[in-house]
Amino acid sequence: MRLDLRGVSVALDGTPIVREADLLVDDGEFVGLVGPNGCGKSTLLRSIYRALRPSAGLITVDGDDVHRLPAREAARRTAVVAQETPPDLDFTVAEIVAMGRTPYKSDPRADEQLCARALDRVGLTGAAGRIFATLSGGEKQRVLLARALAQQTRLLLLDEPTSHLDIRHQLELLHLVRELGVATLAVLHDLNQAAAFCDRLYVMNAGRIVAGGPPEQVLTPELISEVYGVRAVRRTQLVFERLKDER
Amino acid sequence: MTSTTRQSPAQTVLVPRSRRVSRFLLLVAALIAAVVASTWLAVSIGAVPVALPQAWGIVADRVIPGVVPQTWTPVQEQIVWEFRLPRALLALLVGAGLSVVGAVLQALVRNPLADPFLLGVSSGASFGAVLVLILGASALGGLSLSAAAFAGSLLALVLVYMMAQRSGRLTPSRLVLSGVALAYLFQAAYSFVLQLAQSGRAAQQVLFWLMGSLGGARWHVLPLPAVVLAAGVAYLLLQHRPLNALAAGEETAVSLGVNVNRFRLSLFVLTSLLVGVMVATSGAIAFVGLIVPHAARLLVGADHRRVLPVTALLGAVFLQLVDIAARTVNAPQELALSIVTALFGVPFFLWLLRRRSVDRAVSVQ
Repeated sequence: MRLDLRGVSVALDGTPIVREADLLVDDGEFVGLVGPNGCGKSTLLRSIYRALRPSAGLITVDGDDVHRLPAREAARRTAVVAQETPPDLDFTVAEIVAMGRTPYKSDPRADEQLCARALDRVGLTGAAGRIFATLSGGEKQRVLLARALAQQTRLLLLDEPTSHLDIRHQLELLHLVRELGVATLAVLHDLNQAAAFCDRLYVMNAGRIVAGGPPEQVLTPELISEVYGVRAVRRTQLVFERLKDER
Repeated sequence: MTSTTRQSPAQTVLVPRSRRVSRFLLLVAALIAAVVASTWLAVSIGAVPVALPQAWGIVADRVIPGVVPQTWTPVQEQIVWEFRLPRALLALLVGAGLSVVGAVLQALVRNPLADPFLLGVSSGASFGAVLVLILGASALGGLSLSAAAFAGSLLALVLVYMMAQRSGRLTPSRLVLSGVALAYLFQAAYSFVLQLAQSGRAAQQVLFWLMGSLGGARWHVLPLPAVVLAAGVAYLLLQHRPLNALAAGEETAVSLGVNVNRFRLSLFVLTSLLVGVMVATSGAIAFVGLIVPHAARLLVGADHRRVLPVTALLGAVFLQLVDIAARTVNAPQELALSIVTALFGVPFFLWLLRRRSVDRAVSVQ
C-alpha cells in the first residue's frame, strides 16, 4: 500500500488552504504530519479520505486516483480516525465498530468476530454494549480506532489520535498502531512524540509542506523557530515510556 | 491495551448474538400480533356494532367464500368490508409510512426533532388539497383531492430541492431551512385561498382535512400507498448500513465508502414521495412521525436494521389505536387525528426535550 500526493492544492469556499503538497507514505511506514494550528494538516487529510476534493494535484493509493475510485473501494483501502466525534443517535460501542464493515458485503457472523477482535485490541471489550455518547473522550477515540481496524484497510489516516488521551493511553495507542504494520499517516501535535514514533515526518506551515524526512533531520531548532515561532532547546528531561509488562 | 476498562464499573456485558436476535424477533412477532389485534378491534368498533367473531367471519367469508357460516346482516357486512376494513388498513399504511419517514429524516438531517413535515412536502400537499376543496375539482382540470394533494407535494419537493441544492449537493441545514421556508409560503397561500372562500362549510371541510382523517378510505385508495410503502421500506432495509453511517456523521459516512450526495438525494426523494402519498390519502397527521421512531429506538437501540421494521410496525399499531379513539371518543362526531396524536405526542415530546442528548443535538445544528 502506497499513498502518493503530487502537487495537491485544496481550497475551502475559494480560499486556498493547502498549496501544492507532495507527500508519500510507503507500505508499512508510519509517517507524521506536524505543523502549527490552522496550517492545513486536517484539510490535507480530509482530501485524502474524500471529504474534500482537491482543486489541483493528484492523490493516489496503490496507483489509483482516490477521487476516481468507487466510494466503497476507496473505503476498503483507507480508514480514518478523525478529530471530531460528532453527536449521534444512541449507538452502542458495538454498533459504532460494526460501521467499519460498511464498505464490505455483509456477513453477520464473520463481521461480529472481526469487530470483537478490533474492540479487544483497543482494550474495550467490556464496553461493547455501552452507549457511545456516554464514553469519555479517550474511550471514544479508542472506539473510533477499533472501527478503523474493523475496516481492515492497509492505509490508516489519524487526525490527532492522541488529543484526548492521557499519557499512558497515548503511548499505548501509538504503539498499537505501529504494531499493526499498516501504512499510517498521522497528524500529531506533540513533536517529541512525533520524533519518537514516526519513520518520517512532514512539516506544514501556512498550507505548504516545508520539510520532510527522518525526524532527526527535519526537527531542527532553525525549522521549529521558523514554523512555530518558538525556540527549541535540547536538554535532558523526563521521558515517558510504556511499561512492557504492566501489572 | 488490555486492562483499561476496569475503571468503568457500569459496563454492560455483551449479550450473545443469538439471544439478541431472538429477543428482536420476539418483539417483531409481538408487534405483528398487535397489528392484527388492533385492526380486528378497529373493524368491529363503531356506530353499528359488529361482534369480534362476526367481524372476523365477514373478512374470512370475503377472502374464502363459504368458509364460515353467515351470522351477520348484509348491512354489517357492507360496513365492515367496504368502509371499516379499508379504513383500518389505510391507518396501518399511513402510520407505518409517516413513522418510517420520521426515522429516516432524523438520520438524514441528524436531528432528533425532525418529522415528516419538516421538508415542506405536506404543506405543498395541503395547498393542492385546499385548491380542490375550495375552487372545486373542475377548476383544476378534474383532479381528485388526493391527486391534487400529491401534485402539490411533488411541486414542493422540486422547489425544496432547487432551493436546497448547490451544484447537486444537499446539506442538512439548507434542506431544513428551505423546507421550513417553503412550508410557510404554502401555508400563506392556502390560508389566502381559504380567506377568499365564500362557503363556511368548505372551509370547515378543509380544516378537518388538514388535521388528518382516514374517512376517505376505500379499497381503491389503498394500492398506491401500499406499493410505495413496501418499496420504500424494502429499499431502506437494504440500505440500513449507509443509513447508520450517515446518522453517525457526514464525514464518517464518506470515509466508510458511502456516496453521501447520491444517497442523501435518494433519501430525500423517497421520503418526499412517501409523505406525498400518505398526506394525499389522509391529510397531515402530526406527531406520529416524530414520536414513533423515538419509541422504537428506546426499544431496540439506534441500529436502523432493527429500528426500521420496529418503527413501521409500531407506527401502524399507534395510528390504528389513534383512529379508533378518534372515531369513538366523541361519537358520532369524529375527531381530527392530529388532535388525538397531539394528546399523546405533546407529553412525549416534552419528555424528550428534557433529555440531555436532544439539547446537544439541537444546539449543534
